[in-house]
Amino acid sequence: MSLETALRATEVLLALVFLQQSAEHIFHRRGEALLFAPRAALSLLLLSGIAPLPVLLALSAHSLLVLHRFSGPYNGGSDRMGLLTLYCLTLAQTLPPGSAREGAFGYLAVQVLLSYFISGQVKVINPDWRSGRALQDVFAFSAYPVSEDLRSLAARPRLLWLMSWSVMLFELAFPVALFHPTALIAALAVAALFHLANACLFGLNRFVWAWLAAYPSILWLQDRLLG
Amino acid sequence: MRKTLSLVLPVLIPSWQFFKTIEPSPRVQWARIDGDAPRWQEFRPRPQRLSPAQMLRRLFYSAAWNEALFLVSCAERIEAEPTAHSITEIQRRILATLPHTPDATLQFRLIFIDHNGQDLLYRSAPFPAHPAP
Repeated sequence: MSLETALRATEVLLALVFLQQSAEHIFHRRGEALLFAPRAALSLLLLSGIAPLPVLLALSAHSLLVLHRFSGPYNGGSDRMGLLTLYCLTLAQTLPPGSAREGAFGYLAVQVLLSYFISGQVKVINPDWRSGRALQDVFAFSAYPVSEDLRSLAARPRLLWLMSWSVMLFELAFPVALFHPTALIAALAVAALFHLANACLFGLNRFVWAWLAAYPSILWLQDRLLG
Repeated sequence: MRKTLSLVLPVLIPSWQFFKTIEPSPRVQWARIDGDAPRWQEFRPRPQRLSPAQMLRRLFYSAAWNEALFLVSCAERIEAEPTAHSITEIQRRILATLPHTPDATLQFRLIFIDHNGQDLLYRSAPFPAHPAP
C-alpha cells in the first residue's frame, strides 16, 4: 500500500469514525449538538476529499474544545485512538513528502502495534489474568457487561480461563505478524473480530471503528519495511 | 495552556493498559430527598437481555450506553478527587432523564462493587430537580 493510498484510506475511515461519534452526541443530547455539529460537518468535508489539510487542521483545533468540554476523552481509549489518528494524519499531511511525513504516519502504526502488545503484557504479568479470575470479575461486577444475562458467564471459569489466555497470547503475538503480509492480514482480521466481540459483550462499539481507521497505517508500514 | 497539554499528552503518548487490574466498579444511584428515607435507584440499569439484533444496532449507535460509560469515568474521577466538573456532569445527566418535577430535590451517590460486596464512597449534596438557568 502506497503512503498516499494509506493516508487517503485513513482520512475516509476517520471521517466515518467522527460521523458515528458525532451522531451519538447530536441525537442523544441537544446540549451537545452545538459542539458536535461542526465535527460532523468537517468529517463530511474530509470524506469528500475537499481540501484535506485545512479540514484536518480544523478538526484538530476542534478536538481541543471537546477534550476541554469533557475534561478528557469522552469514551476513554477509543476516543484517544481516534484523536491519535487525527493528529498523526494531520502532521503527516502538513509535512513535506519524505521521511518526516513517513515518520508521522509510522508513529500511528507503531502505536497500533503497541496497543495490542502492551495490553497483553500488562495482563500476562497479573496472576488474576493468568488464572481467569480477572475476566470472571469483569463479568461478575464490572460496569461493562451490556445485559444482566451476560453476568452468568462469571460462573464458567474454564471458558473464561480459555478466553483470557486466547486474548493474552493473541495480543502478545501481534507484533510478529508484521514480518509477513498474510500473517498481518490474518492478525488484523482476528483483531477486528476481537473488537467486535468487545462491542457485543461490553458495548465498546467505538473501539471497533477507531481501531479499523488506524489499520491502513500498519499495512503501509509493513509494505515500507518489507518492500 | 498547561491544562490543554495535560489533555493532549495522554493522547499522543497513550498507555494502552486496558483492563490491567479489575478495580471495584462504580454504580451511580439517585433518589428524591423529600423527608422520607430516600429510595435509591440505579441510574440507567442495564437490560436483562439484549438480542443479537440489538447488539448489532448498538455497533452503529449506542449513545445511552456510551453516556453510562462516561459516567463511570466521572465516578472514578470523583473517587480519586471530587471535581465540580464530574459532579455537574452526573447531576446534569440524571436531570435530563427525569420527568419535569420543579419542586423536587435530588441527590446521587456512588457505590463501588467488587467480589467482596459494595461500599458507599460518595454522596452528593442535595440539588434541585430543575437545571440552573
